[in-house]
Parts: sequence; C-alpha cells; structure tokens
Amino acid sequence: MVNLTINGIPVQVPEGTTVLQAARHASIRIPTLCYLENVQAIGACRVCMVEIEGARTLVPSCVAPVAEGMKVRTNTERVRNARRTVMELLMSDHAGDCKTCERNDDCEFQALARDLGIRQVSWEGAKSPARLDASTPALVRDTGKCVLCRRCVTVCHGVQDVGALFPQARGFQTVVGPAFGRDLATVTCVQCGQCASVCPVGAISERDDTDKVWAALEDPTKFVVVQTAPAIRAALGEEFGFEPGTLVTGKMTAALRRLGFDAVFDTNFTADLTILEEGTELLHRLKAALAGNGTGTPADGEGHGEPAHGPGPLPLATSCCPAWIKNCEHFHPDFLPHLSTCKSPQQMFGAAAKTYYSRRIAKHPSDVFVVSVMPCTAKKFEAARPEMEASWQRDVDVVLTTRELARMIQAAGIDFVNLPDEAMDQPMGMSTGAADIFANTGGVMEAALRTAYEIVTGRPLPFDGLRVAPIESLEGIKEAALTFRGVLPEWNFLEGVTARVAVAHGLANANRLVDRIRKGEASYHFIEVMSCPGGCIGGGGQPRPTTDAVRKARIEAIYREDQSKAMRKSHENPQVRAAYEAFFQAPNSELSHRFLHTRYFGRDRV
Amino acid sequence: MTTRKRIESVEELVAFRDAARGSASTAGASPDRRQVLVCTGGGCIASGSLEVAASFRRALAARGLEGGVQLLETGCLGPCARGPVVVVYPDGTFYQQVKPSDVDEIVDSHLVRGAIVSRLVNRHSATGELVPQIRDLEFFRKQVKIVLRNCGVIDPLKIEDYVARDGYAALAKALTRMTPEQVVEEVKASGLRGRGGGGFPTGLKWAFARKTPGEVKYVLCNADEGDPGAFMDRSVLEGDPHSVIEAMAIAGYAIGAHQGFVYVRAEYPLAIERLGIAIAQARECGFLGQNILGTGFDFDLEIRKGSGAFVCGEETALMTSIEGNRGEPRPRPPFPAVKGLWGRPSLLNNVETYANIAPILLNGAAWYASYGTERSKGTKVFALAGAVRNTGLVEIPIGMPLGELIYEVGGGIPGNKTFKAAQMGGPSGGCIPVEHLGVPVDYESLIELGAIIGSGGLIVMDDDACMVDVARFFLEFCQDESCGKCAPCRIGTKRMLEILERICEGRGEEGDVERLIALGNTIKDTALCGLGQTAPNPVLSTIRYFRHEYDAHIRDKRCPAGACSALVRAPCQNACPAGVDVPGFVSLVAEGRYAEAMRWHRERNPFASICARVCFHPCESKCRRVTLDSPVAIRGVKRFMVDRDVAMELPEVRPDPANAARQVAIVGAGPAGLSAAYFLARLGYRPTVYEAEEKAGGMLVQTIPAYRLPRDRLAQEIALIESMGVTIRTGMRLGRDFTLKTLRDAGCQAVFLGIGAQKGSRLGVPHDDAPGVTEALSFLRSANLSEGFAAGRNVVVVGGGNAAIDAARTALRRGAERVTIVYRRRRSEMPAWEEEIDEALHEGVVLETLAAPVEVQVADGRVTGLVCQRMELGSYDRSGRRRPVPIKGEIFTIPADQVIAAIGQSVDAAGLFGDLPVELDRDGRVQADPRTGRTSVEWIYAGGDATLGPSSVVEAIAAGERAAAAIDEALTGADHAFWRRNVPVDTAFDPDADPSPLPRAPAWLRPVEERKGSFAEVELGWSEEVARGEARRCLRCDWRETCNQEVQRW
Repeated sequence: MVNLTINGIPVQVPEGTTVLQAARHASIRIPTLCYLENVQAIGACRVCMVEIEGARTLVPSCVAPVAEGMKVRTNTERVRNARRTVMELLMSDHAGDCKTCERNDDCEFQALARDLGIRQVSWEGAKSPARLDASTPALVRDTGKCVLCRRCVTVCHGVQDVGALFPQARGFQTVVGPAFGRDLATVTCVQCGQCASVCPVGAISERDDTDKVWAALEDPTKFVVVQTAPAIRAALGEEFGFEPGTLVTGKMTAALRRLGFDAVFDTNFTADLTILEEGTELLHRLKAALAGNGTGTPADGEGHGEPAHGPGPLPLATSCCPAWIKNCEHFHPDFLPHLSTCKSPQQMFGAAAKTYYSRRIAKHPSDVFVVSVMPCTAKKFEAARPEMEASWQRDVDVVLTTRELARMIQAAGIDFVNLPDEAMDQPMGMSTGAADIFANTGGVMEAALRTAYEIVTGRPLPFDGLRVAPIESLEGIKEAALTFRGVLPEWNFLEGVTARVAVAHGLANANRLVDRIRKGEASYHFIEVMSCPGGCIGGGGQPRPTTDAVRKARIEAIYREDQSKAMRKSHENPQVRAAYEAFFQAPNSELSHRFLHTRYFGRDRV
Repeated sequence: MTTRKRIESVEELVAFRDAARGSASTAGASPDRRQVLVCTGGGCIASGSLEVAASFRRALAARGLEGGVQLLETGCLGPCARGPVVVVYPDGTFYQQVKPSDVDEIVDSHLVRGAIVSRLVNRHSATGELVPQIRDLEFFRKQVKIVLRNCGVIDPLKIEDYVARDGYAALAKALTRMTPEQVVEEVKASGLRGRGGGGFPTGLKWAFARKTPGEVKYVLCNADEGDPGAFMDRSVLEGDPHSVIEAMAIAGYAIGAHQGFVYVRAEYPLAIERLGIAIAQARECGFLGQNILGTGFDFDLEIRKGSGAFVCGEETALMTSIEGNRGEPRPRPPFPAVKGLWGRPSLLNNVETYANIAPILLNGAAWYASYGTERSKGTKVFALAGAVRNTGLVEIPIGMPLGELIYEVGGGIPGNKTFKAAQMGGPSGGCIPVEHLGVPVDYESLIELGAIIGSGGLIVMDDDACMVDVARFFLEFCQDESCGKCAPCRIGTKRMLEILERICEGRGEEGDVERLIALGNTIKDTALCGLGQTAPNPVLSTIRYFRHEYDAHIRDKRCPAGACSALVRAPCQNACPAGVDVPGFVSLVAEGRYAEAMRWHRERNPFASICARVCFHPCESKCRRVTLDSPVAIRGVKRFMVDRDVAMELPEVRPDPANAARQVAIVGAGPAGLSAAYFLARLGYRPTVYEAEEKAGGMLVQTIPAYRLPRDRLAQEIALIESMGVTIRTGMRLGRDFTLKTLRDAGCQAVFLGIGAQKGSRLGVPHDDAPGVTEALSFLRSANLSEGFAAGRNVVVVGGGNAAIDAARTALRRGAERVTIVYRRRRSEMPAWEEEIDEALHEGVVLETLAAPVEVQVADGRVTGLVCQRMELGSYDRSGRRRPVPIKGEIFTIPADQVIAAIGQSVDAAGLFGDLPVELDRDGRVQADPRTGRTSVEWIYAGGDATLGPSSVVEAIAAGERAAAAIDEALTGADHAFWRRNVPVDTAFDPDADPSPLPRAPAWLRPVEERKGSFAEVELGWSEEVARGEARRCLRCDWRETCNQEVQRW
C-alpha cells in the first residue's frame, strides 16, 4: 500500500493506483475528458492536471502513478487556471453549435465546461479542418465537433481490433478518421458504433433515421410494424432518468403504441426462431462431423452458407451480430464457412413480417413497413445489405437505435416515466426467456444450449436455473463444456460427447479466439461472438455512458426478465411453433433456408 | 573493399592499430607525408566539394603524384560557410571556397613548387593579414575538439583510420579492464550531461538503466536531429560514425544490453549510408556481433529511419516510432530506463553524448571534467548560424562567454550591423539580448536567462531581425511539428501563433502581450512533452527582452526592424524616424522632378537641407540594395536635391481659424521645436517659439560645425517655417525671461519643450575644473557663435561620439596644432559615425584608443596634459561591448593645453519648471510618452535631446512631428495629421526590368589641404548625372502591385 495526501487528506491505496483513482477513492473529483475507465488513460487532453509537490510542471492525474509520501493538490489557482485554459482552448477549436447538436444536454464536453465554471472562451481563432462523413448507413462523423480525445481510436484499435480510425496529420491539422482521409464506408469499419458509444461529444453518432419513421407513421397506406431487440428494454429507461438496469418493457410497449405503430412486436420472437434454426444447424454439423460426414475443419472457397453443400465445418459460430459478420468478411474470410447461415433475429423478423405476417394480415409486403429498434448501429448496415430482401424488397425498412427511439418518445411528448405497462402484440410479440438473454454476452450460447440439450436428451439443461454460469461474466473469452449423457436414440452419435463451447465479446477477443482456433490451439463445437463488450446490452446504439457498472446492471436486468418468464426455452414458444406450421415448415427446411438463412462474402481490407 | 580480419582479442586490436597507424590516411599523421584533405561534410558537398575532390584526383594523377600525395575525403571541419574547404598537409594550409578550377593551381603551386596559393587563404578579420595555417585560424583557436576529434581528420569510410586514432580502444578497455559498474561510475564522474537538449546527467541515466532488472534491454541512439540549423549529430555520423558505434557497445556492456538501435532521420541519407558502412565494418572486425574481442560480450546495432517528424526527437515518441507506431510521446513515468522500447528497460542518448564516451573512458573522467564549469563539464558543439561571419560547427569548452563565442570563434557580425540577440537551443530555445553577451554558455546560466543550450543551435541576429517575427517563425515551426496529441500544444500554440501573426500584420491589440504570456506559461505547465512545454519559450523570451518591439507593433503599428512586410512599406522609410517617403523623393530625383521631390520630402521633414548634411541616415543602413552591391547613397541624393531647391516652395498648409486662435508655445528653436512648430502651422496653428539664444536653430547653429552644415541653408529653412505663421522670439530664456506658469497664465493651451540636453558631463578626474578644461558643448558653442575664438595648441578630446569628433575637427580649424582623441575602447566601438572618424583622421586628428583619463595635469594653474591609463578589453558588459579594464601600471601622459570632455550631456533642468511636476528620468532627461511627447504635466510636451539625451537631428524632427499631432489631437479631439497618409508616388517603375547596374556613387569631398582653418563645407554636391544615376539605383521596395499602399499609420 502507498500513503499519500490529496489536498491534505491522507489516502492509502495499492501500489500502481493512479492519482486520479486515488482521488476518487478519497471522494475528490478530478475532471477528465480523454480518460475512459478500463479503456484509455493516455494523458492527452490535459484536463485532469493536478499539482504534485516537487514536480516541475502540472501532472495528468489519469496516468500519474501514486508514490509514497506524494503530496497532491487538485484545487489550487494554478490547477484551476490550467484546466480552464485547456478547456477554453478545446472549446475554441470546437464547432460549438450546442443548441442543435444531438448531444445537447448529453455531452461530456458541455458538462465539463459547466463544471469548470467557464463563462467565456478567451481564445479565438481558426478552427481545425472540419469534415462530415456520412458515407455509411450506420454512423456519421463530424470532425468539426471532435475534441481529439482519441477514445474512439483506442476502442476501435484496442477493444475492437478493427483499426479503422487513426489520428491523421499533425499539430492543429490533426484529425481522427480513416487512413488517407478516406470515408468510413471505404475502410474496414464494422460499424459496431463503439466509437459513437464512447465519444464524449457529437463527433461520431448514429445516423439519425427518425424522420423516415415519422414519415411512415404519417403515411396512411403503410402498416407500420416495430420490433424491439431484447437489449432495449434494459437500457431505454436510462434515457428517461431511470437507474441503469431498470426494465421498462411495458412502458416501452406503451410508448411505441402511442407513437402510432400499428403492431408492436418483439425481436425476441425471432430470437426464439433463431435458436431453433441455429440449434438445428449445430446438430447437423455435429452429426456430419461426428458421424464422419464432415471434417470439422474450415472449408475452402467463397459463397458460404449454401445448403446444397451440406453442413458446414465446426466450430459453428453465431451469426446474430452484424459487426462480427463484417469483421469476419474483412479479416477472416477463411472463417466464413464456420458462421451459422442463420440470419440475425432482426433480419429473420423482417423476412417473417413481410411474408408470414403480411400474408396473415392480408397485406401486400410493400404496404408493411418494418421498423427495428436496436441497441446497435451495425444493424442499420445489416438491414441495408443487398441480400436482405427475402420479401423481394427491404425486409427491414428502418433501424433505429435505442437513443433514436428515446428522442422520438421525447419529441412526441410522451411522459415515459408515468406510462402504464402494456403487453406486446401477437403473434410476433411472444417470446421466451431464452430470447431475452440474446442481449447478453453468452446469452445466445446459453439459449442454444437450453434447447439443443433438451432436443438431444429430452431433459432440461442440468444447470441451476438453466444458467450457464461460466459464460455469463464480463471475461473477454469464456469457455464451457457440456457432456451429453442419456441421449435420445436418434442422437446417439452424441452419447458421451463433451460439447466444448466458447464465448467472446469485443472483437479483439473474438479475433484472438479465431486465431486460436485457426492455429489449432483450441477446439470447439460452437462459439458465440458479440462484437460489443458485454454483448448487445453494451451496443453502440445504447444510452451513454456504457461503463462496466452499467453493463453489469443491464445484464442482470436481462436475466431478471428471463427468470420472470414462464417459458425460458425457445422451442417452447407456441407462436414460433405456429409459424413453422403455418409457413416455415420446419427448422432448416427449404423454406426456412429461403427466408431465414443468408450467405457471406469476403471483403477487402483496404 | 578488402575483407577485414576479425579481431579476436585486445592484442590483435593493438596489432591492428599499429598496422593502421602505418598505413592509415589520418591527417597530419606524419610530418613527411603529403596529404590533401577535402571536406565532404554535408555543407561542403552542397557547395561542390565532391567535384573538388574529383579534380584533385585527376590533377594528381595527371602529374603522377597519386603515390606521393594522399587524397582524403573527410567529414566536416566546421567552417561550412567557407566551403568547400581543403587542407594540405604536412604544413596544414587551409584553403577556402575552393572551386574545381582552383585545383590545378593548388597542385602546381603548393604541392609541386611549395608555394601557398594566397588568394584562397583566409585573412585575419581585423588586420587583413594572411592566415594560412589551419591552427592559426581564429575560428579554430578557441575550440576544443573532443566530440569532433576525428571529424575532418579521418576518412569516415575506413575503420583503419578510426582505429589508428585509438578507436575501439575504449571498448577494449571497458570489456577487459572494467566492470560495468566501473564504466557507469566513470561516466558519472566525468560530469557529462545529455547533449540532446535536456542536459540530464548521462552517468545517472546509465546507472538507472543498469539498475532496472531485465533480460532484454536496449541501447538507443537519438540521431533525429531536428532543430533548424543544428547539424552536429549529422556531422559526427558523417565524419566519425565509429565513435557512436563504439560508445553504444560500451553502453550495452555497462547496462547489460545486447541490442542497439540508431534512430536517424531519413533526411540524412549520407549519415545513414556512412553509418551503415561503419556498422558493417565494425561487424567484420568483430567490434559488433558475438563474443566481441573474445570477451564473451555480444552486442549488435541496427539503424532505424525516422520519417522526419520533429517530435520523434522526444525520447518516448522516438521509441513509439521505432515500435512502428505514429511517433507520439507518451506520458512519463514510466521512464525509458524502466519501461522503454517495447516495454523493456532502455538507454537513450543522442549522437553527441555518445561521441564523448570513448575519450572519457580512455583519458579518464578527471580529464574530461577539467573542461567546463562547476556543474556543466566538458565541451559542447554549437551550430553557428545567422548574422555571424563564421557560420558552421564549433566545439567549445562549456562556460565560454557568449560574446567570445560569437565575436571570437564566430568572427562577429558581418556587414556593419549590430548584434541584437542570439537565439539558442533550437525552436524551443530562447533569445539572449545584447546585455547578456557576457553570460557563460552553460546549462544553468542559459536557463536563468530563459534560453537553453538545447542541442546547440545558435542563431545570431542583427538589427535587421524583428523579434516578434522571430518568435512567430519559431512558434510556427513548433506548431507545424506538434504531434497533435495534447490540447495545450495542439491548440494553444496555434492560438499564440495567431496572436503573433496578427501583431506582425498590424492587427495587434492592447493586451495581446499579456495574453501571450498567460497562455505561454500555461502551455509550459500543461503540455505533454518537451516540445509543447518549450514551444512558448521563443515568445516568452522575446517578450522578456524585447517588449518594446511588441509594443511598437501593437501600439504604433510599426516594425522597428523593418521585417514585417505588412507594416513596412519600404525598409528605408521604415527606418527613418521622421517617416520620409524615401523611394518617393529618390525616384522623383531620378526623373529630374526636383521641385516635386523636395515637396515630397517636406511632407514629413521640414529640414531637408540639414538632413542632407548631418543625418546619420538609418535609411541607408536598411537599404535592400545591399543584397546586390551596396546601399543607395540616399543622403547624397538628398544633398543634390536640396542644392537644386531654389523655389523653397511652401508645403500644404490648412488654414483653420479655430486652431489659429489656440495658443501653443514652443520652448527652444532647435530641430525638435521648429519641427513641432512647422507641423502645427500646417494645421492652421500660429505657435510662438521661444529661443534663449540670439539665433534660432539650437544645436544646429550652436554646436554642429559649419564645415558640416552651412548656416545660410539653415536660415532659409527657418525662414520658410516663419513664413507659415510661426513666430520665433529669440533671447527668451525659460526660467529667466518667462516661465511655464506665465505662459499658461497668458492662455497658452499647450507647451512643447524642445530645450535640448545642454549640460555637458565633466571628466570626473582630479583637476577636471582647471582652466583649460572644458566640455564639448560649450567649446563648440563658443567656436561656432563667437568670431575669433581660438582653441588651444595642443588639444585632447575625451570621448568617442560625434561631439568628440566635432570638437576635434573644430579645434583643428580654430588653430590647434595637434588634436588627440582619447577613447577607452577600440575604434570599432566608437559611437561616432564611421565617415566622420575617417575624415577626422584624414585631417590629422590622432586617435588614442584603449585609453582613459585618470588625471588632468596642471602646472601653474593651467592644464599641461592629460594623464591616461592604458586599457584593455575585459568581459562583456550590459551594452554588449567588452568592458575596458585598466592595464596595471601602464600610465602615460599626453601633453595638452586644452582638454575637452565629450562624454555625455544631460538636461539642465535647474529652475526651468518652477513648481510644475515635470518628471525627469534617472539620467536627468524629461520623461515623455515616446508616442505623443506628453510629459507628466498634461499640457506640457517634450521631445528631442531633452527627452532622449544627445541623439540625432532626424529623431528630434520626428519627436516634434509626433508632439504636434498629439497636441492637435488633444486640443481638437481628433487626428488631423494629414501628412501621415502614404500617397503612392507617380514615378514610373518597371518591376520586371533589371536593377540599375551602377555602383554606389562616392561622396565628393573638399581636399584635406583646403580644409584646415576653414569652415567651408567639406562635402560637395554631385553633378546632376551622378545624382540621377544614384537615384536610379533604388530598387523601389515601396512599389506594390495593388494600389492600396496606405499601410503606415503612426
């Protein structure tokens, strides 16, 4: 332990602690801007400066390690002047159109200016080069608002391993963006939106698609259907002042109805559908591998996911996450055969809504308008993929993020906090607890195991409360093993087989997992990948900020939702069964392949 | 290339060295070996030394001399401005600016016949004598070459040359006779400090790196030399690359590392090439690689190229760059010694630091520490650049006074300019002004003055340098090179730069300087790395020493140095205190439009005929024509112009009854007072001038001798002013005939004091009041005003200013047989104008310099001589000159019957102001706002010598003009100074034409024999042909493509 004083207060903290952490320990707030807990401490912005006795200059507390006997002062004239000057300099090079900025009132930069008591910006002058990059369907970059804190760079490189954003040029000309000043759409950006999630200002945000939704809602010829991803209900409340981890499923449903949606449905419904499709695919692949019909090694070639070529190799990898898919297309084209051919729940929903459901309500698919509410920016990209036209048109018309939905609710004058709880519409509002946990890292895997084990053995998953504890944590890569015993006769090739599964969240972890598999250092039957840390609950479209504490709260809320459900296994969902009977025939059937499965394409890295 | 045998032991190294000494081409290795050394440092290559070397090769071959004369291509010798340089041994003759066409002559004359080619040999800067031997050159004499010991002496491409001069002996010593701890201790004891800029004790750094545990450690060399103008690291790598390799291997042994990296900027291709060759040779010989010298120690080196980001010279950024990332600094701690390259303990020193290591180990720490000062040991290499004669690379013992470095090693300031400041330490260093020329060049002393040794860049600036512009230039560099990571550096330096740009463009505002100081200090306190923390230094240090220049830009919209183009219409006009449109009247003269030229001149200056004779013409010293040949003789053109002025045309006068009714009084009918009256009259005032003497003209009639200023011309110009409505009342002495209070009581709304500095200073030695001792002013006054005045027969004048020269030359004309001027410094330090001194000497005045009076010798109550003390020049004083100090015991007496003291003047203020609180400064001068002339009493203004002390006519004229404008503004509430508008002259100018090829026309002077005893004017006017030819030499700097020329408003 190290003893120091901060503002005269004795503090004892473990060695290696930073002055910033020590100050927080002593209930002393030090303002920060570029610092991002557990992600980035680079001492770049110079806002967290403190005075340390004996030091020639002020010291950035976020990177300064404590030392025995250190005397720190955080609130002297010199410190206040330095912080204010730095902040005013930053403000002098900032677009400053706060009143119309999407981050108005939700801006760390604004809050910092307020906290530092800045009433005027003493420095004025030229602004560094500003550029609006709206090249992708998911994200909009406005470098004029960028404060060069580099959180996005660190997240894109360190957490996501994508490396689409860099500091470019030097000095006052420095901008953060894709290499060679290119547009985001032309580089390997997977559009996960983690950059937007950590951006303290409005420099990177989701593309705002609310106008398209308002227009559809106004259009009397459109039957507007909305689906909400499982992660929304555990986070939307934060936008209205609820504590992180507050479940607002009922209020959300009520709000959507008040916004004018004709049917309020649940992506959970197709999550259950996904489990049936993907579980079946897994069993097929297992059978092919274990019964000698397959090699279990990656297959060669392009155009993967063709059912005609038979089951793909092991391990099977989940395909719910569009950023993970794009990541594989750019960086692991050899791994594409491992990806499940199942569409994501969002796209299964779109396809189902404009085929199965539109037929059921006797509407032409072109009169049905499908809106998704997703925790994710990459879902906007996914919905725009050319393959996603199972209904001969866009299956999903508009994707909104959680934040956009909140803005619509606010704009519509809906008193969200005091809304009554309402239930979703049927048939596609019906879901099981297994669908809920799709929001969490490990959730898809757990949901799949719940169903697969029961299909194979006829018995429920032998874990406490159906929870596969080892894969539920915030560890980067998690593993579990499950031995099939007493299998039903048709599955006897699985008798005694120990299924090895792995779960990764954050693309850096995912890439590491893929590398291990590729090098033969690890071998699995099934892996789950979610691009965002914590899974979809930590998605790039979720309310800000998303810290580890917030992630944990949302994850717990999702599990509460799961455990509150009467049905907690996807195959139990009666509406899913009904849909098969009425339309999709059976999991992995020809029709389900036609509507619910897709294929992947290798993409260039430059 | 022959393959070299691997050296397996110290014994083999000794044998190798002995063999190398026999055969190697080391310069001056043996007195009977003839050698030609051609410098192939970067500077000399740029001026063509490779062609010179090739010519030597051919010339020697053609004469069959290849065997007898060895040709060496060496690294940099230092005097780059004189390149290409060649040294011929065994005699060591130094040839400069050698062209390939000179080579045959050198070979035939020097090498064949043994006769030095004197036209290519250096001459002593003061005496002009030939200095053929390299060891006698002023440039080398005070240098101590440790770092540069082999540069310019060996062939850098031959390891044998290096070994012959004890190369790798230090490595052998370390590996076989010292423990790593002993190596570290030796470096510590030497007191060597990091030469890259920080000055951190090198031994301590090595000790830290040694102490940190780690299997893998790295030794790094910073060769990313980026300071503009600094090239010592390049020179070492190009001229002596093995010195760095050897030192890094020693460092590897000392700290326990086996791999090193040299980070060289890609802009140094020659350094990279030569270092690469040297590394390969060192590997071949086994000085790098496995089991070095059979000791079991392994060490190897790689070169890493940096792509030219200045910030990569910062240690953490350098390591980040080697790692393959964007070169940006990272926070410290952790320090490199703990977590450096790839997270491993690393030792980073720069090239120059490493180059010191081998000599330290070989000669011992005590030897090294014998150079330098208490806290800064050894030598430092400086890159001399800018306004200094000997630009190039010099190595001096730390602690040498800056003045000595600039004036003795550097040879002083060329082109009759004066030293203004030395910018030290690269773009983030600071400026040292003239008053600190005595500062010892060491780490602590420079930091105290706001500068740093840095990597050793030293840019000398003369009075042409605008310090605001200099600060802007350096800050722009840092702003461009900022990595952009931290906000204070990225945005803060930009904001500072914007303020500076505004100031330089004349858009500065009150408070800008304070803003710069505040922001600069915060940036220093908050930036991430050394680049940002020091980027404000050039700004802060120029503000500290040259605040007045900032104020001139901001308040007066004026760039005193004439460098800021937005504020300077033409440098001559800018330099003229009165703001005369020089290109305007000169070009009118060139077209033969003399009356218009005169009118043009009279717009800003009523005393053309006076200035044509006695002005010290600052315009000429700023004339850009000097870059072609020599300045336009502006005063000569003016002299011709006034000689042609027969009409004495009145300038524009704007009658104004209200102003005519306002009473303004002017005290003193000298140039300041009359000029104030002139400009007030142009605005319709009818001021009254009170003059104590019987004749108007002030100092012009009283003290300036008639041989310089004929009285009739002066009288005409004064008459012209009177004709504009000015009343001059002579014989009216302030304090005797009237007081300021009586003027005020009589309704006077403003008073201008142009009362001059009439009180001459006394010598301050015994008997300085004896009969026969006088001071220059009263001597000149009597000589000028009373007919039949006779000077002594044997006159001694004490002082070095114009008054001293005037007194001396007047004495000659008033009957003196022998006139001696006693001055305590050297002639070059005399404040009098060069041409006046020349003429005095021509007329027979004797100059006794380096002498100071100690006593006036008196016999029978009369002066019989002046006892003087012989002086020599000591350390630099606050005026930037070397202080004269007595040489003990050297006393001599100059016989004299008259001693004239010309050593200073002050205002005789006694009884002048009554009880009005007119404040005086420390030197007894009236304190006045330099822009308005306003004194501490609201309605009293002052200007000229009364406020400045003895100064010039044109400054007095300018002060009168400023006061006139200010008085008018105070009385009317608005600015009416219409003559200040710059109207473009309508003379023809073809910007595409070649400049006139004529040389500067010399002044025509009356022959010396006609002058004695005569007050006839010495200088004679030119013929029309000469004058118009001279006028056509003007380059017309005032000319602009666009019409909007109204840039000056002050």
